[in-house]
Amino acid sequence: MLRRGFQVAGRLSQHRVLPGVPQVLPRLILTSTFGSSTDSLVSRFCLEKTGLKDYALPNASWCPDMLSLYHELQEKTKTDGWVKLPSFKSNRDHIQGLKLPLGLAVPSDERDWRIFTRCIQVEGQGYEYVIFFHPSKKKSICLFQPGPYLEGAPGFAHGGSLAAMMDETFSKTAYLAGQGLLTVSLSIRFKHLIPVGSLAVLNVDVEKIEDQKVYMSCIAQSRDQQTVYAKCSGVFLQLQLENESPQ
Amino acid sequence: MLRSGALRLCPPGALRGPRGSASPPARESRPPPRSFASEAIRVDLSLPNPSWSKDMRLLFDQFMKKTEDGSWKRLPSYKYVSPQSTEVKTFFPDAKPVKGADMPQAQLFPRSLEEGRGFEYAMFHNHVENRTVCIFQGGPYLQGASGFLHGGAIATMMDSTLGACALRAGGVAMTANLNINFRRPIPLCSVVVINSQLDKVEGRKLFVSCNVQSVDGKTLHSEATSKKVPLCLFSLV
Repeated sequence: MLRRGFQVAGRLSQHRVLPGVPQVLPRLILTSTFGSSTDSLVSRFCLEKTGLKDYALPNASWCPDMLSLYHELQEKTKTDGWVKLPSFKSNRDHIQGLKLPLGLAVPSDERDWRIFTRCIQVEGQGYEYVIFFHPSKKKSICLFQPGPYLEGAPGFAHGGSLAAMMDETFSKTAYLAGQGLLTVSLSIRFKHLIPVGSLAVLNVDVEKIEDQKVYMSCIAQSRDQQTVYAKCSGVFLQLQLENESPQ
Repeated sequence: MLRSGALRLCPPGALRGPRGSASPPARESRPPPRSFASEAIRVDLSLPNPSWSKDMRLLFDQFMKKTEDGSWKRLPSYKYVSPQSTEVKTFFPDAKPVKGADMPQAQLFPRSLEEGRGFEYAMFHNHVENRTVCIFQGGPYLQGASGFLHGGAIATMMDSTLGACALRAGGVAMTANLNINFRRPIPLCSVVVINSQLDKVEGRKLFVSCNVQSVDGKTLHSEATSKKVPLCLFSLV
């Protein structure tokens, strides 16, 4: 698998799919309007899938705060237009039938892949999280409980784990709000450490979509909002996924 | 609870580099080198293992050569941040080892995944130039967009490298801010080099920056700047 990764990397550079310095990626979309509406993206994303485990569901490791806030938000999915996003082991499972645009797709052995925020599958040890998205407000709320395998300073979550959780929440929000696909930039200001096993609530807003980019902000805080853990702004590049060729 | 890897010791023959850290240079004027207390059960993971690709091993050998004249030093890396370590005792005096002290429940995040699946890395530090270089191979459990490394995984590795650089320059430091620009996605399972340096010191604040490049140096994947502050300036809950 590793060897194939290199062959692929060689192929990428050979085909010059990642061109020279000023431009990040080739402009694959000629117009700035994207065909799929948020509603159609959400309904495709949230299809009832059989055989795929949804990790964004309560389990025994969830602290009481996380459980009660989860149930509050679940109620709001019935009344206020919120949608609970499923969370699968691999990002491939979220875009079944679709693939990255030509030139970015990396054909490789995918069986072993796991999305980073589901890398530790033992309940309660790594990332425990669930994301709720509001299609018309273009907002997300992520409930995040870091486990002991995410430690940095003793007893507290590694800064990188929060950065990853913010990036992941941005990623799903950007995709559903405007087909944002790749992180362009992240700017995080850390304020307080998150104790391992406690709940952090991440509120994400889409500030604007312009120039092929989705601009978002995030604030991570305790449930009572008395402690701000970090603030972050993120920019994602819009790219349209392509249909997989029929087999 | 899975403790995969907790009892893993490097199989004989898998190690290419010297065991443990390189001996520090004898410089009277430098403060005593900070090092983690050595414990028999603690395994240094910044050494080659079977999951390392050819590129990763070549880079490792190149940097090990540089340690021969004393200007560079390989930094050891363990699965657990021991509450007994000097740095931790100074800044977290209340940190207690969890029950079962030999086998703490918590694991240092970048070392908590199985061999070859997550973060495979080794760091080297040049104390004269205040530079830390990290060679990093990101495994299949660090996926982001299909086939590429997750932005958060890259952020974690950049933060760790910047932290190591700041640690050697000014002692234990917490990340106050981290600003990353991503330029080109990194294919899953490839090797990259993270070059970090100390840019300036303002009182007790350290400003560090780094870039992430491909092995041949031709592709710039991302860049970051960060401000690190000592714990007393970083408020705790």
